[in-house]
Amino acid sequence: MIGQILREAWISITAYKMRTFLTMLGIMIGVAAVVLMVAAGQTVQNEITKTFDSMGTNLIIIGPGETVSGGVRGGRGRPSVSFDDVESLRSLKDIETASYIVNAAVQAVYGSNNYGVNVYGTTPEYLTVGNWEIEDGIMFSERDLKSGRPYVVIGQTIVDELFGLQNPIGKTIRLKGQPFTVIGTLREKGDGLMGDDQDNIILTPATTLRQRLRSSPRPNYSNVAFVKVTSEDRMESVANRIEYQLRARHRLKEGTDNDFTVRLMTEMVEKVRSVGLILSLLLAAIASISLIVGSIGIMNMMLVSVTERTREIGTRKALGAPNKWIMFQFLAESILISFIGSFVGMFLGVILSQIGGYYFGREVPISVWSVIISVSVAVIVGIVSGLMPAFKAMKLDPIEALRFQ
Amino acid sequence: MAEKLKQTVEPVIEVQDICKTYFMPGGMSQSVLKHVSFDVVPGEFVAIMGHSGSGKSTLMNILGCLDRPTSGVYKLAGKAVSDKTDAELANIRGQEIGFVFQNFNLLMKRTIADNVSLPLIYQGVGEAERYERAVRMLHKVQLNGYEDRLPTQISGGMQQRVAIARALINNPKIIFADEPTGNLDSKTSDEIMDLFTDLNKQGITIVLVTHEDDVADYAKRMIKIGDGQKIYDGLRTEYQKDEE
Ligand SMILES: Nc1ncnc2c1ncn2[C@@H]1O[C@H](COP(=O)(O)OP(=O)(O)O)[C@@H](O)[C@H]1O
Ligand SMILES: [Mg+2]
Repeated sequence: MIGQILREAWISITAYKMRTFLTMLGIMIGVAAVVLMVAAGQTVQNEITKTFDSMGTNLIIIGPGETVSGGVRGGRGRPSVSFDDVESLRSLKDIETASYIVNAAVQAVYGSNNYGVNVYGTTPEYLTVGNWEIEDGIMFSERDLKSGRPYVVIGQTIVDELFGLQNPIGKTIRLKGQPFTVIGTLREKGDGLMGDDQDNIILTPATTLRQRLRSSPRPNYSNVAFVKVTSEDRMESVANRIEYQLRARHRLKEGTDNDFTVRLMTEMVEKVRSVGLILSLLLAAIASISLIVGSIGIMNMMLVSVTERTREIGTRKALGAPNKWIMFQFLAESILISFIGSFVGMFLGVILSQIGGYYFGREVPISVWSVIISVSVAVIVGIVSGLMPAFKAMKLDPIEALRFQ
Repeated sequence: MAEKLKQTVEPVIEVQDICKTYFMPGGMSQSVLKHVSFDVVPGEFVAIMGHSGSGKSTLMNILGCLDRPTSGVYKLAGKAVSDKTDAELANIRGQEIGFVFQNFNLLMKRTIADNVSLPLIYQGVGEAERYERAVRMLHKVQLNGYEDRLPTQISGGMQQRVAIARALINNPKIIFADEPTGNLDSKTSDEIMDLFTDLNKQGITIVLVTHEDDVADYAKRMIKIGDGQKIYDGLRTEYQKDEE
């Protein structure tokens, strides 16, 4: 009997091809939008995870204190953590190593090529805290740092932009007109969280940067310092130790605020992750509005259909169709429409998300959620929007229906 | 003659003291059928006549199990209909009754074979058998070769023949036709009435409603309804107009 009902339903909906197609279009667009948004949300989440993995998560970040004016917290204060402060941390328990950076944005020039780049003045330990690896050549040494040698280690973007296919090791580039010798290159990391190019980077000893690229009235103070903790479960206790040590070194009295900030990468990861999750839920919620609209479209079309086919319903009943049969036929019509619409919409969404991923150079996952969402939408929308029209058809009095013009 | 037959054969239709009253919103009510009684035995050809609005269609709807009387007893093939559920009535309509309507009521988007075999769907008959039986029925109404056409492609007279084939497909005990020639010209009407006469000769009971005298002439027996009451019941040939 189910087979016969489905067949009758199929013949009925295919009899009005244009109308059926337009109705399906609503559901198609709705499901495609949801699948697309879920894919977008998952892509963002994956990118977040990838980026944090490339940075390392057992990291503590020490920055300048926050300015306070009239009791209102403002932006960053001036640098307050000295190079010596950071070096003093290296001997603390559970700390693998620590490094700091001072930075300068300059044009890097080699021959006729030039490229805008962020130069990090740092220490050899920066490789470890930043999860960097040397691709070619060597990192500058502690001694190079002490004596402020004009050495640079360059990221892959700089290699590509300045040297193309040439070997950069041993070559001299110019930063602010000053010569620097390339002694190493960094392994490629790819794009960062905000689509920023992590490989557009040059590392040089902090002392060199201060002397040759960016002087400062407080030359031995860092913009940001990084501490790599031996394991993630030690983060809290290490953070407390750092705070204690720095307060002592800065001679801060009890009851005064820190003149520096200590942030845990693990906490930042959590924060960004939850923002990412909320974002993707929001996207899916907005997209599902179009699903509701699509479902109203089906209900509307089915109600029109029941009215238009009143005589048909009356005839079927007079010829022996039980009320239930009539109800199931109309329900089957709306379920068929919503099923086909959902599945086409699902494929549309998956294909569009892959095209989008290709276009933006991102890997977009094909999620089981797409299938789960599509199937449940197909069933729920089909039943919900078909129920009322189906009941209306079922309740029709055959005599009235046959009189209907 | 009807009286004589009754003693020997079980009637297929027994109408006993039937009333039908429509209750309208606002407390008004209209008595459309008033204490109507008659029997029909198998093989009869009965014309129900009367002026427009006299209650003929109301009576037909009750006979065809589409409606229930307000009071009185209606028995079809010996079984009282009034205490049956909607589902049981649908089943009776599908198995024991064939309907022919004034405006044919074909599904215009479906093939003629689909239309003819429509009642079989509700009896759970499979697709192949439905088609095969539709072809056979179409042969019976001289429409062989038309099974895969659409109703829009044939004339009104042919459409009514399709409807008759559809009424016959379940091998019903009885066919009810409410003004089956009302939408047809007189020549086509004659063809349709010849077909009914033919079917009646094969033993099918036919009850038809008409207000046209020459259509009623095809029937042996005539029941006349006037203002909701039976005002004549007898041989068509013995009916005198001035009896009213
Ligand atoms: N559902 C209904 N509600 C109220 N009155 C009705 C209804 N159906 C029919 N009637 C009335 O019953 C009377 C008989 O109608 P009907 O049986 O269709 O007459 P006929 O078929 O003889 O022309 C008419 O006056 C009609 O208006
Ligand atoms: Mg009538």
